[in-house]
Amino acid sequence: MQLYSPLSTTPKRKAFRAPALASLDGLRIGIIENGKLNAEEMLNEVAALFVARNGCVVRTLASKKNASAPAPGNTLLNVAQEVDFLITGLGD
Amino acid sequence: MAALAPRIHDAPDDLLAAIDYCYEQGWTDGLPVVPPAVDRVKAMLAADDRPPETAIAHHPATGLDLSLHAAAVNAVMAGCLPEYFPVLVAAFEAMDRPDFNFHGSTASTGGSAPLLVVSGPYADEIGMNADVNLFGPGNRANATIGRAVRLILRNVFQMLPGISDKSTQGNPGKYSFCIAERSRGNPWPPLCEAQGYAEGVSSVTAYAGGGFCNVENHGGNTPEQVLGSVADTMANYGCITLGQSVVILAPEHMRIVADAGWTREQAQDFLFRRAKRPIEGLKGVGKYREREYDSQHGGDAHALADAGFMHRGLKPDDILITMGGGDAGGHSCFIPSWSRGRGSIMQHAPIAVPANKRS
Repeated sequence: MQLYSPLSTTPKRKAFRAPALASLDGLRIGIIENGKLNAEEMLNEVAALFVARNGCVVRTLASKKNASAPAPGNTLLNVAQEVDFLITGLGD
Repeated sequence: MAALAPRIHDAPDDLLAAIDYCYEQGWTDGLPVVPPAVDRVKAMLAADDRPPETAIAHHPATGLDLSLHAAAVNAVMAGCLPEYFPVLVAAFEAMDRPDFNFHGSTASTGGSAPLLVVSGPYADEIGMNADVNLFGPGNRANATIGRAVRLILRNVFQMLPGISDKSTQGNPGKYSFCIAERSRGNPWPPLCEAQGYAEGVSSVTAYAGGGFCNVENHGGNTPEQVLGSVADTMANYGCITLGQSVVILAPEHMRIVADAGWTREQAQDFLFRRAKRPIEGLKGVGKYREREYDSQHGGDAHALADAGFMHRGLKPDDILITMGGGDAGGHSCFIPSWSRGRGSIMQHAPIAVPANKRS
């Protein structure tokens, strides 16, 4: 019996990781919080560790209106111009 | 990116062995599927006159497309007949809109299932159930159209339980969640008419539902009593959010509401006005959030939103309300939204039946 596959016929998309930063010392941090309860508080705590340990500076806090949708492209573009790395998170 | 040709598998000719083969490939929702034999898939595709490679939905998180062909394969597996296919296609055309956010609603811990509400004459033409045992079991069209949605989310978009679908507890509707609006004895215009479609055009509404709440009231004899119990269910501390709502009134309840002369819009206003909790109570259970209150009571606040209270939703037409179910019983239902805010907005689309398939 010949069966059709029920999977998508879209070719698999290639994904790449950004290159690792050589050092975190003195870098500028951006935060994107997703609007969920305590997200901002938790991410600020994480950023504070980088500030204390690596002398980083928190430059930007951006918020998403919709926790489960990707951050809007212009939000990412704006934040990318001001910071060296971003801290974000997902989940409940 | 150009689509690849659909892959064909050589499975055992024995039907039971072919069913086992589908299990082994990881293609099922846990229940046996109809093996998607080539001739059955082609018969399904004949229910849409566009090329099989036509993409009808796109998954932004993975970049995967849903083609008519892949939809047809999964429809066969779910047990659909070809005449059900236009409903399934319309459902994904509705869910493909960004405001529905089907990735978020499928991946989330919230346990969402896409509820489909089919309105208009096509529901009767294909034998859908809008009557007794509305949410099942017992009707092939309702059961298999809803099941095909789940199989597509799983097989085409790879929303796999425990991997990319992280529902904390899931939801029985994730096997199938599809109903027809009852037209027999319904005193209100059908949803498809209210949605603005031309006479004779049926529609499917897709809603990221978060479960099922029975609303029992056998003693209420006025619209205020019946809808008051619905509003209380909508506003319980477990359910109240800024999300939308679906309310399916049982015929017994609908008669009480409509015999008093209430329109759908009056019922929506009443429910929005009454489905609320004081902010002090919300603080007491740890659910109060200032930014949510601000979004409901800011410059665009609806006139019925009371200061000092959180209502369910942002406005009365956030509440879809219609009739369904058997003649006997004071059992309506409220389907809470998966979204706690505006993360998924219900969408509708017309059901397009090819000219040579119209009755």
